[in-house]
Amino acid sequence: MSVAPAPTIESVPEFLVHALELEHESAERYRLLAETMAVHHNVEVADLFRRMADMSDAHASEVIARAEGLLLPEIAPWDFKWSCPGSPEVSCLDEEDVSYLMTPHQALLLALHNEIRGRDFYAHVASSSPSVKVRAIAGEMAEEEGEHVDLLKDWIAEQGPADEAPTDLDPPNMPE
Amino acid sequence: MAAVIEAVPSPTLRAKDYKSEVSPVWCPGCGHFAVLSAVTKALAYLKLPKEDVAVISGIGCSSRLPAYIEGYGFHGVHGRALAVASGLKAARPELTVLVAGGDGDGFSIGGNHFLHACRRNMDMTYIVMDNEVYGMTKGQASPTTQPDWERSKLTPHGTGIRRFQPPAIALAAGASFIARGFAGDPNGLTKLIVDAIRHPGFAFVHVLSPCPTFRPEHREWKHQVHLCRFGPTDNPAQAAQLMQEDDGMALGVLYAQRLPIWQPANHATASPADFDQEFRI
Repeated sequence: MSVAPAPTIESVPEFLVHALELEHESAERYRLLAETMAVHHNVEVADLFRRMADMSDAHASEVIARAEGLLLPEIAPWDFKWSCPGSPEVSCLDEEDVSYLMTPHQALLLALHNEIRGRDFYAHVASSSPSVKVRAIAGEMAEEEGEHVDLLKDWIAEQGPADEAPTDLDPPNMPE
Repeated sequence: MAAVIEAVPSPTLRAKDYKSEVSPVWCPGCGHFAVLSAVTKALAYLKLPKEDVAVISGIGCSSRLPAYIEGYGFHGVHGRALAVASGLKAARPELTVLVAGGDGDGFSIGGNHFLHACRRNMDMTYIVMDNEVYGMTKGQASPTTQPDWERSKLTPHGTGIRRFQPPAIALAAGASFIARGFAGDPNGLTKLIVDAIRHPGFAFVHVLSPCPTFRPEHREWKHQVHLCRFGPTDNPAQAAQLMQEDDGMALGVLYAQRLPIWQPANHATASPADFDQEFRI
């Protein structure tokens, strides 16, 4: 599918709804990934995705605090001004890169990809919104997401070189 | 005297509030996750009370959907989801009935129910997660698998059989709403499901849902899908022609028409005590 440039976000409430949706969807996606990895006994990666979900939840709480006293508009899922089919931190990634055998290194790379997309969304709003207030808040949030990106890069560096994915002892195409 | 129950407006629910506590056992990367997300977003958007929603399924990977949704659900018999759902809708017309399943469940063993559900036009939504394979039983060709797909040991030279064309067959059988969505576009799919639930009558949503385990080639789908070049039409002749030209990758509402809904008169003919009497020895 083609990826169109995101339309501009014009008001603080509209921006905060987008930010809240981004963080909620991110948290829910990480939590679902964690559950799925736990089902497949990939405990280490499940823990990692849980940590990522907690980080997104914390970010969502910050957005809620910023929205205090404001009346936020209700936006239909398909009317969000994303540049890709879903919110930046969960879409436009290759789902096929997610595997029950994925290593912590691969999971961190996936998370890094997502966080960079989140940061870029906020940076895009910070540079494109006609509202000075929106640009200012989005700029702050881009910085915060940038900190997540840096943190993930540190974690990846701590992990060292990519470890080899374990062998699948029950491959999908066994003879019937 | 019957108790008076005051109507209390339900609090605003988010999509995650419609997700159950059960963890999906689908393979990571499975398209069905996006369908689950789209269904819960649609329910939240429509602000449907959980107790007014029932999700009915058959057997297969996709048929696990009811377990993951907070609401009423029935994980039924292979291919019989539409039969069970029709019975439920007949008895409880006030419920929003969603039927979920896959291409094997819906178009092979359940193919006959599919045809008659289309022509019966009861007010329900049928979501088929088509991954062109029987995934739960480890990867056999389904009715929508390409004839030359050779990766199953059961059909090492492919099935050699032309594929089932779900939207065209739904149209021919009398469905009043036909749409196609893609798991890679969860928000677009949400819109289609919302439209389908709102549609008065039988609404068929054909979802291209990649199977990363048995059909890794589905990763190309995201480059192949495209918006339907024609808007929704209510003209069956036009829809038929367009569906014949369809490459199977066109997304959107393909056909929508107001047709009479079949809903039986709901008069009680027996009480539980009568049934009890029937079984008394």
